[in-house]
Amino acid sequence: MSEEILKALTQLFAIITKQDGGVTERERQFVINFFQTELDQDSIKEYLDLYDQFSGYGKEDDGKSKLTSVRDSVKTLGICKKINKTLTQKQKIVVLIKLLELVSTDKNFTPQRMEIINTVSTVFNIIQDEYQLIESFVISEDARSLNFVDILLLNSHDKAEEGKLYKHVHGHIQGDLIFMRIRSVDMYFTKYLGEESNVLNGFIMQPNRVYLFSHGSTIKTQAGDALYYSDLVANFNEELKTTKLSFNATIDELKFPNGAIGLRNVLIAEGPGKLIGIMGASGAGKTTLLNVMAGLVKPTKGNIMINGFDIHTQKDRIHGVIGYVSQDDLLIEELTVYQNLYYNARLCFADFKEDQLHARVMEVLENLGLDQRKDLRVGNPLDKTISGGQRKRLNIALELIREPAILFLDEPTSGLSSRDSENVIDLLKELSLKGKLIFVVIHQPSSDIYKMFDKMVIMDTGGYPAYYGPPVEAVTYFKKSTHQVDSNRGQCETCGNVNPEQIFNIIEAKVVDEYGQPTNKRKVSPPQWYELYKERFNIQRVEDEREEPPHSLRLPNKFRQMLIFATRDTLSKLSNKQYLLINLLEAPLLAIILAFIIKYKSAPGGAEYVFRFNENIPAFILMSIIVALFMGLTVSAEEIIRDRKILRRESFLNLSWNSYLTSKLGILFTLSAIQTFLFVLIGNMILEIEWSMLLPFWFVLFTISCMANVLGLNISSAFNSAVTVYVMIPLLLIPQMILSGVLFSFDKLNDTISTKGKVPIVADMMASRWAYEAMAVYQFKNNSFEAPFYIWEKGEAQTDFKASFLSDDLEKRRRFIDDNIKTSDDSVRQLIQRDLTLIQTTLADDYYKKGFEKELATPWTPATYTPEFSKKLETFLAGYRKFYQDMFNRAVMGKEALMARMQNDKDNPYNLNEAKNRYFNESMADLVRNVTEKERIIEFNGQLIQQINPVFQDPDVSNPLNYRAPFFAPQKNLLGSPVSTYLFDVLVIWLMTVVLYITLYFELLKKLVNAFDRTPGKASRPKGDEPKKK
Amino acid sequence: MRIVIIGLILAIFSACGSGNKSDEKAFLEGLDSTKTEGPSISSEVIGDILQSIPAPLEISVLLKESGKKYNAGYLNSPDNLPRYNSNYQKALNLGIYGTDLGYTNIYEQNQDGVKYMTAIKDLADGLSIGQFFDIETVGRLATNSKNLDSLLLITTQNFNSINQYLQSQGRANLSVLLLTGGWLEALHVVCEVAAASPDNKQLRETIGEQKIILENIMLLTSFYKDSDQNMAALLTDLQELKALYDKVTITYTYKESTFEIVDGVMVIKDNSTSTIEITDEDIKNISAATSKIRNKIIS
Repeated sequence: MSEEILKALTQLFAIITKQDGGVTERERQFVINFFQTELDQDSIKEYLDLYDQFSGYGKEDDGKSKLTSVRDSVKTLGICKKINKTLTQKQKIVVLIKLLELVSTDKNFTPQRMEIINTVSTVFNIIQDEYQLIESFVISEDARSLNFVDILLLNSHDKAEEGKLYKHVHGHIQGDLIFMRIRSVDMYFTKYLGEESNVLNGFIMQPNRVYLFSHGSTIKTQAGDALYYSDLVANFNEELKTTKLSFNATIDELKFPNGAIGLRNVLIAEGPGKLIGIMGASGAGKTTLLNVMAGLVKPTKGNIMINGFDIHTQKDRIHGVIGYVSQDDLLIEELTVYQNLYYNARLCFADFKEDQLHARVMEVLENLGLDQRKDLRVGNPLDKTISGGQRKRLNIALELIREPAILFLDEPTSGLSSRDSENVIDLLKELSLKGKLIFVVIHQPSSDIYKMFDKMVIMDTGGYPAYYGPPVEAVTYFKKSTHQVDSNRGQCETCGNVNPEQIFNIIEAKVVDEYGQPTNKRKVSPPQWYELYKERFNIQRVEDEREEPPHSLRLPNKFRQMLIFATRDTLSKLSNKQYLLINLLEAPLLAIILAFIIKYKSAPGGAEYVFRFNENIPAFILMSIIVALFMGLTVSAEEIIRDRKILRRESFLNLSWNSYLTSKLGILFTLSAIQTFLFVLIGNMILEIEWSMLLPFWFVLFTISCMANVLGLNISSAFNSAVTVYVMIPLLLIPQMILSGVLFSFDKLNDTISTKGKVPIVADMMASRWAYEAMAVYQFKNNSFEAPFYIWEKGEAQTDFKASFLSDDLEKRRRFIDDNIKTSDDSVRQLIQRDLTLIQTTLADDYYKKGFEKELATPWTPATYTPEFSKKLETFLAGYRKFYQDMFNRAVMGKEALMARMQNDKDNPYNLNEAKNRYFNESMADLVRNVTEKERIIEFNGQLIQQINPVFQDPDVSNPLNYRAPFFAPQKNLLGSPVSTYLFDVLVIWLMTVVLYITLYFELLKKLVNAFDRTPGKASRPKGDEPKKK
Repeated sequence: MRIVIIGLILAIFSACGSGNKSDEKAFLEGLDSTKTEGPSISSEVIGDILQSIPAPLEISVLLKESGKKYNAGYLNSPDNLPRYNSNYQKALNLGIYGTDLGYTNIYEQNQDGVKYMTAIKDLADGLSIGQFFDIETVGRLATNSKNLDSLLLITTQNFNSINQYLQSQGRANLSVLLLTGGWLEALHVVCEVAAASPDNKQLRETIGEQKIILENIMLLTSFYKDSDQNMAALLTDLQELKALYDKVTITYTYKESTFEIVDGVMVIKDNSTSTIEITDEDIKNISAATSKIRNKIIS
């Protein structure tokens, strides 16, 4: 209190007391007492002199009282206005009560005195009704005459008298203990009328003296009854009586996966309207307890019941009831304060209209004093735009906006200034008064904050409960338990401060060795404290309310949720300029770098760039795929990790995981579509790849980028840190490169994985291989030059293969059989049998069977292989060769004729060379035709395999499930019908994407990782729409 | 995403539904039913005539003896390779490059020789006769100039086997083109060298001698003139050349052959002589016509 105000008060006191009969000794004594609580001994004298001077103490009344009183009234007004400017309403109420008390010391209630006090009250803007209440409360000596709603009487009567408005509580007490509530400022005052010596916060109450009954206060009657602040508040609060809420946590044991015990025999039972603090030494399991109570961690033994519903098994009955504010910031940093709240609100209140939502958000912002900051970006702790306290409040606001019935907060005051801390706790206190049940883990609270809690749970090392009861009592309990002096005093006599540190000093007091040095052995071990606790506290379960707890949550449908998630995410991405810029520039820049570097004067003679001779095109396509994969992975890899905090907060809303994921995919796919399009557009333009390749190339890259997106989300959901995820990326990408089929030929891989003439199964799992095949085959088959000739070249290549190589090979085998048919050597006979089968099966599958159909229908054995048969086979093979030579010549002629026709078209002569230069790429053609392969035909697993010209080989469609084909085959077998490789390969990648989405949805990878890496107390993400077993 | 999936599934079914039955069988059936017209002459006859034409490489030996320096400008640049897309062009130019390779070899121009070999391999691949050229062997041998002789030998032999192979495959038309190309290139180079050294009688005679070969080639080409319009066009061009050659007269004087012992070995000596009457004007015209035809082929 400032000097100025104290002076003003002194004058007020003086003015009042000097009216009508002057100052009495008792009144002066009251003033002295008042000074004693405010001032040191030296100053009391000074102010008392001032008082005496103003009040005219010791002077005789000179009879000029009338005149003085007018002057005094004017003076009073002046003083009150001065006071008005500095004191809060609460302080003004206290001043008013002091004035009334002063007057009542001598019961000298003259009209003039009362008139002045009334004036003071008016100037202080105290409502007349409240003034009446205060006046009656202070002055009255008969408790029964106080007929106000805001009065509570505690006496030995069983119930209140009929027809009276005041509230009544029964207690073992002589006389009346009266409580008054000042509604406008939410303050409580008490006074005692009677003879007993009751104790308020450890000090004896003077009869008929008004005391402020502040947060955390306790009154103990002589008979031993205790009345706590929280009980009193509960009696006044009508809302609490209508809130149906019961919370019973019975945690018999919580075992961490590593076997350590986290919590033992913790029992917490509470009803509505309580603010419960949880304290404990570090590592005592405060946060664990909070997490268990909030349902984030399941207790090993025990259960958590809210209104009789198990928090784990009956989630759907209590959804939206729990709010959880973790110690970390759970904010979307890129969004503004308002947007953070707004989208949260939209997810919570599906039935609200836009203006209702806005009103709700603004209301919460105003309540938390954040309305001035609503358009600031939240930012991160390093790039601050709002203060730490504001961040904390916003975190709380996010939970408050949906008004959960039970709220859990983990150290909401950590890192806040004492002012901010107090504001936060004030807010929570207010909420609890509205009927919410609030649990707060708190660390080193100030005295004021500490006292504000209704109850305090104190945990000791090893998860033992050590105390559960009113906060101030805790000090006395521990003092008493260790037989300390003055153990009844919980708080400081003069200032009313409680030192919560004291509690821990007692709990963790160390045994001192003979040199006076503390050892690390505790005087009282946690189990010993627990024994005491068991004796002292007998916690009764709160009776379960058998109805669903109140919740205002109305979730939007899954589609709407997805839209909200998507909008929110998009906004936050758009507001992150760096992210946006990098992501949009990445693709064009890479395309420019790549395409520019690999574009050279490729024409023979090196005169100019010609697409046809650019030997880098196969590598360009591979790089495009790697770039698409890389961009897809990097853009998604951090998504879920970054959101994990927000997901954790929203887990209490039971939002749809599917909606969340689809919103992510929507955004990521859009981004991938843009990135890959820009990449292909620029890459193709620089390398002069024809326009008709743009969209097909883009679609493959988009497809693979989408696959990478979902893959990235998988790892993002499975690992804890962004670093791990980014380390994972090479692990995922490099196999894609190795097994893409371009860097290393599939035929020259380790024999355990390679299958000749087909793509190895491991490579089939690589999206890169499918993408590459799709692009390469499409480019070769569908480029504007090749497209009309493809069919002819295919016929040419395949008939040539049969005429020149296959028939040769078969004939060679026939001769081998002829030469050795008479041998008795078993191994040779085996070879003969093998060759016979080989020839038979190869020919049986062939188109040309002229005159040999009958023989081919049955399997051949050495026994049936007669010289006549051999002769017949020889003739057949000669005919076979002749037939295919003929076919080859016809195909060549067909192609030549087509070329000639196109070139000689009179209206539109076709410049074949020009077209080939522009659209055809020699290196791509060499690659898909596998021209470097010297072994054109090999035998593998009893089959003859064509090694060259895979791009002209049709798939075997006899078995609908055999999808395997040579790399670069033009068509694939899809359930028995041939489908173009492009379509098939793209489908395979989409299938992979779908599979990855399923693993993502069920978080299979995360479960796998967690199975290897179990960390204690790790909270799982409770999910709303996990498939329910019904 | 669901929409994408549904769209894709629809796309598959529509793709299947349209039933693109473009498999090998359908193609073969289609080919089988087409009527093709081959030459009216049997392949044996064609083979015999082909055998009678000397390999163009033999001509180029003359060139070195003429004492003229190597001139890459006479040859068809390997850079022209990408221009040859049809089998007709490929076969003709394969012949041309074969001659060029021989020319570079005579002058031991290894670097150029390797280029021609690569071009030859490429064209051969395009004609599905790449198996006669092992590109890796070519590459390995080409790194050492001492290997060039063997390389050339391989290549030359390959040309012979190619001819045989093509005939056995019923693709003698390609053999004809191969020879025509090689011969035309040889004639062109000889004409160029002759123009540079007008006094060299032997070169002039060589040019004149080509009259006989030209007639054979025209005979071969004429077999295909009905079935192949490219061949027909080529024949027309050759007829122009033939018209110029008609002015050249070759008088053949027969004399009994005699036997002589040279170093203990009996040798048959051909005493017949042939006189070739060819004017400077004729050479100039032939040279111009040859260049014209050749330019048509190589461009």
